[in-house]
Amino acid sequence: MTTVPIATEAFCWSCHAPHVGGHFCAACGKIQPLPRGADYFAFFGLPQKLWIDCAQLEQLFHQLSWKLHPDNFVCASEYERELSLERSSQLNDAYRALRDPIARVEYLLASGGMREEGAARQQAPPELLEEVFELNESLDDLRTARSRSLGTDGGKTAALKQRLEAEEKKFEAKLGEVDEELKRIAGEWDAALDAGADEAKRKALMARMNDVLNRRRYIRNLVANVQKELAEA
Amino acid sequence: MAYSDKVVEHYNNPRNVGSLDKNDPNVGTGLVGAPECGDVMKLQMKVNPQTQVIEEAKFKTFGCGSAIASSSLATEWVKGKTVEEALTIKNTDIVKELSLPPVKIHCSVLAEDAIKAALNDWKKKQGSDATAEQPAAAAQQ
Repeated sequence: MTTVPIATEAFCWSCHAPHVGGHFCAACGKIQPLPRGADYFAFFGLPQKLWIDCAQLEQLFHQLSWKLHPDNFVCASEYERELSLERSSQLNDAYRALRDPIARVEYLLASGGMREEGAARQQAPPELLEEVFELNESLDDLRTARSRSLGTDGGKTAALKQRLEAEEKKFEAKLGEVDEELKRIAGEWDAALDAGADEAKRKALMARMNDVLNRRRYIRNLVANVQKELAEA
Repeated sequence: MAYSDKVVEHYNNPRNVGSLDKNDPNVGTGLVGAPECGDVMKLQMKVNPQTQVIEEAKFKTFGCGSAIASSSLATEWVKGKTVEEALTIKNTDIVKELSLPPVKIHCSVLAEDAIKAALNDWKKKQGSDATAEQPAAAAQQ
């Protein structure tokens, strides 16, 4: 390295040996503070890829929880106890974010600045809106029918319920399609990383995943709404 | 979070709820949605082709109180305005009028988008009525 490191985390806080990352100093074994802007993938020593072996991740999680656990630091200095707490809570956050494939994509996009409010306008896909509107109207009809009749309308509520159930199936199928699409783009992302893709290519893939995630959230909220209404009907 | 009195008032007494015939050539329909909250908003306006004045406006919104209030207010504001005037309505005007908190600003954005979408739809319909003149205009260029 030719540049003079400014960040203190380039050296171990205790023995001042150069520190290149990792939870502990390679020279003296002391626990290290979290570097600024540390990402969850790096926390587990993983590349920023979207395909993760969940069994391996779980194993890493258990190993790290055991190593970083505050119980190991009861006799250590107050600073080290603090670091252990900090790293343990980061470990839990990181594990939660990476263990679920959707949360993992969300995390990747958020760390790439894609999920911030106003960063990219969150517009609903127009081809969905018409169907979404109709579904909401059916939901409304069901609510009205229910509040008026309380179930004594000779099958009208039942017919509405049936229609909604059919629509709900349709949207659940859509959710499956969206998940497949997300999986495909995630595969492209991993391949692009392997191929050393440049910033522009990576941003383009992130934007595509962002679109799919938006659509996914929209559909998922709808399905949840319909399920709630149907359960009450 | 507490809604402002104006939001509550619009929510309890929404103005101009309903729909217009979307196949009417003088009716523009705008359908917009916000994925973060699952809101959908439909705004329709009937424009007098001679005067360009918006004579009627209707909305139907599925969403939170702020989304309903924003679209209700939008229909009130556009009525009686010309198309050009209506297009100058900004989401920030709606935010101010309804005292929307920062987390609800996207509802006002949605309302502005809906106005624009409806008037675009109307303009497109007007344009398609006049398609016979367009090729000649293009040929002159």
